[in-house]
Amino acid sequence: MQEYSSQAAYDRGEAVCVIGAGASGLIAVKNLRENGFEVDCYERDTVLGGLWNPQNQHSPLYPNTHLVTSRSQTEIPDFPMPDDWPDYPSAAQMLEYLTSYAKHFGLSEHIWYGSEISHLETVEGARFEVVVKPAAGSAARRLRYGAVIIATGHHWAPNLPSYPGLDDFRGTVMHSSQLKDPSRLRGKHVLVIGGGNSGVDIACEAAVNAASCVHSVRRGSWHLPKYLGGEPSDYALARLASRPKLLRRFLTDRILKGPKRLAQRMGIETPGHGPGDEEPVRNGRYLEHVGDGSIKRRGEVARFDGYDVAFADGTEIRPDLVVLATGYQPKIACVAPELLGGTRDQPAPKLFARMFSPKAQTLAVAGLVEPGVGVLPIVHWQTHAIARWLQVRKSDPERAESFKLQVNAESSHNAVSAADDSPRRRLVVDAEEYLASLGRIIDTLEQEPAK
Amino acid sequence: MSLTAWIRRARTPEPVPVRREIAVFEPADLFDIEIKDNPETNPVLCCTGDSAGAAAFNALWLKRIASSGRYAAAVSVRGQGGTPAADGGPEARAHDVVQAAVTVPRQTVLIGHGEGAAWAALAAGRYPAAGLVLVSPQRFPKQLPKPVGEPPILLVVSESETQSKEVQAVADEYGITPLTFAGAPDDVFKGAPAEGLLDAVLSWLDAQKR
Ligand SMILES: Cc1cc2nc3c(=O)[nH]c(=O)nc-3n(C[C@H](O)[C@H](O)[C@H](O)COP(=O)(O)OP(=O)(O)OC[C@H]3O[C@@H](n4cnc5c(N)ncnc54)[C@H](O)[C@@H]3O)c2cc1C
Ligand SMILES: NC(=O)c1ccc[n+]([C@@H]2O[C@H](COP(=O)([O-])OP(=O)(O)OC[C@H]3O[C@@H](n4cnc5c(N)ncnc54)[C@H](OP(=O)(O)O)[C@@H]3O)[C@@H](O)[C@H]2O)c1
Repeated sequence: MQEYSSQAAYDRGEAVCVIGAGASGLIAVKNLRENGFEVDCYERDTVLGGLWNPQNQHSPLYPNTHLVTSRSQTEIPDFPMPDDWPDYPSAAQMLEYLTSYAKHFGLSEHIWYGSEISHLETVEGARFEVVVKPAAGSAARRLRYGAVIIATGHHWAPNLPSYPGLDDFRGTVMHSSQLKDPSRLRGKHVLVIGGGNSGVDIACEAAVNAASCVHSVRRGSWHLPKYLGGEPSDYALARLASRPKLLRRFLTDRILKGPKRLAQRMGIETPGHGPGDEEPVRNGRYLEHVGDGSIKRRGEVARFDGYDVAFADGTEIRPDLVVLATGYQPKIACVAPELLGGTRDQPAPKLFARMFSPKAQTLAVAGLVEPGVGVLPIVHWQTHAIARWLQVRKSDPERAESFKLQVNAESSHNAVSAADDSPRRRLVVDAEEYLASLGRIIDTLEQEPAK
Repeated sequence: MSLTAWIRRARTPEPVPVRREIAVFEPADLFDIEIKDNPETNPVLCCTGDSAGAAAFNALWLKRIASSGRYAAAVSVRGQGGTPAADGGPEARAHDVVQAAVTVPRQTVLIGHGEGAAWAALAAGRYPAAGLVLVSPQRFPKQLPKPVGEPPILLVVSESETQSKEVQAVADEYGITPLTFAGAPDDVFKGAPAEGLLDAVLSWLDAQKR
């Protein structure tokens, strides 16, 4: 790329701008290049891999993070992980994998590190101008692109609950993403708040490292072990998904009976819906720690009071360390919410098929879903579809029209119920349905028209 | 690979993993200061139906490919050469080829010989090969996956094979015309016919800028 002045935008023609070099950004770059596009990828940090890279300044990894989805369900469809890796690779292996993917497909030469995109807007109809946030002392750079794919992830802004008295609490409070070093748990009386995968994993770390562990959870959820019937759980359940509906339900109920009974025994309610409707907790050790008393479960926290924490049921404890494993606020700061179908008051994106901007044809978001299964394959098919769309848009107006009608129709399938105000739950998709929808979209973009 | 094909595969048991024998020859291994690894070119990964596996490429191929500035590798699939036998048909052998391909540092060209051409073609349905070279293909699958990422494809056969139905079918499938080399289908590993064949393959690769 040549030098450009701070005033005039440098025009990159039909090149595509990808924002973020985490897993989603890398997959986007690879699939766009494979489809013949020139790509510039901007990464605000100095490393690739996004949240899987502990060197990323904001990485939310905590001690001993392992995948909760199994290798065969997590790997990118056209670039498998080594088959001598364990069923559940570690965070370090995940980073090794993403690094080798980038190297294998020569992606690094298209990535601009230390380059945060602070703003983007439409210009000249369907094109975009992006602004690269200036490093200290230099001017902002502006560039123009034919299309933009946002792949900035949604695990960067901690969701921090407020409780009466929290500010004056005398112990230590931190979000799960700040824990980093397991030695911080050692010898402490630990309270973990939040029943997602982070909270449950950290409670297990505390169960073996801390002096005591209390785990506060405000509602029930599915607890799956990492294996079911001798197979990785996600694989076992996905296999059943190909069966006819009734048989599928019967077999699923049967395979989940054991975990359900165990959870009940530990006083955990299992939600009415199946484990596919919302991210299940996947941790085989947790219920055993509850069973041997090394994790004590409590309900919702009511208030903090000096050294003490009081629960809604009236009981109190005195923890040294409180870990808020209360998840993240999905945020896309670099673009006006309207461009992604939101409003100033309701900034949450409302995208076509969970990826296409309803306002700008050449703007898409990759990875903004919580599918409850491996995310990378979903992003692979999303970015495959996006790349095809960008081609078809130019070359085949007729097909482009049928595509537009179709994404519109597909979007009503996975409309979000307005009642669901939890920011994360708004991103939940049923993986089975969403993949089918992606499949239909790709068919429209690729298949020979019926004669 | 289509999304449906991927879903199907992700929901079938993975072939038993085996410790695969992979022979590698890099331009630097030639100890010739004139020859350097050219990062602009794609590496090459070979497989053959011959039971010797990777070793079959040792005598001539790997060195010759490396002399062209390319990273050269060959894999023995399950039951060949130094790779232990394990269950699985052509799909499992294609899995072995893909697993070898992802260990190559850059996006690789796949060259398959004999039955190995069938495995390479199946592998190219799952992995975006930088190019696909089929040498005297045998026992080609009836149902061929569409290669991922639209790689350039070369079909090379010996003169005696040009009229065979099998070769015709493969050529039709991909819509390409086979290139011929002098000699018998098994003359591919050494001697003058092998050298001619390799020259043809390498100059084709150079012409693809791959
Ligand atoms: C603790 C934890 C465990 C998980 N475990 C699993 C699992 O087992 N299996 C699974 O499939 N998924 C898991 N996930 C989900 C995870 O989100 C995906 O696996 C995947 O890493 C998402 O990648 P991404 O690229 O979308 O986002 P990220 O990895 O968040 O990458 C986004 C990138 O964008 C950059 N960026 C952000 N804003 C800007 C900007 N304005 N300009 C330039 N760059 C920017 C960031 O620096 C970052 O590098 C887990 C998530 C967490 C938090
Ligand atoms: N090992 C792994 O691979 C791994 C590990 C951790 C996380 N992850 C993934 O990373 C993502 C984030 O996981 P996460 O566990 O950090 O977040 P999460 O799944 O969003 O869970 C947050 C938890 O905190 C609770 N919570 C939120 N606000 C609260 C409040 N005000 N008071 C009390 N409780 C509150 C939530 O309860 P409600 O549901 O009632 O809101 C939920 O139980 C998920 O996709 C997850 O699967 C993967």
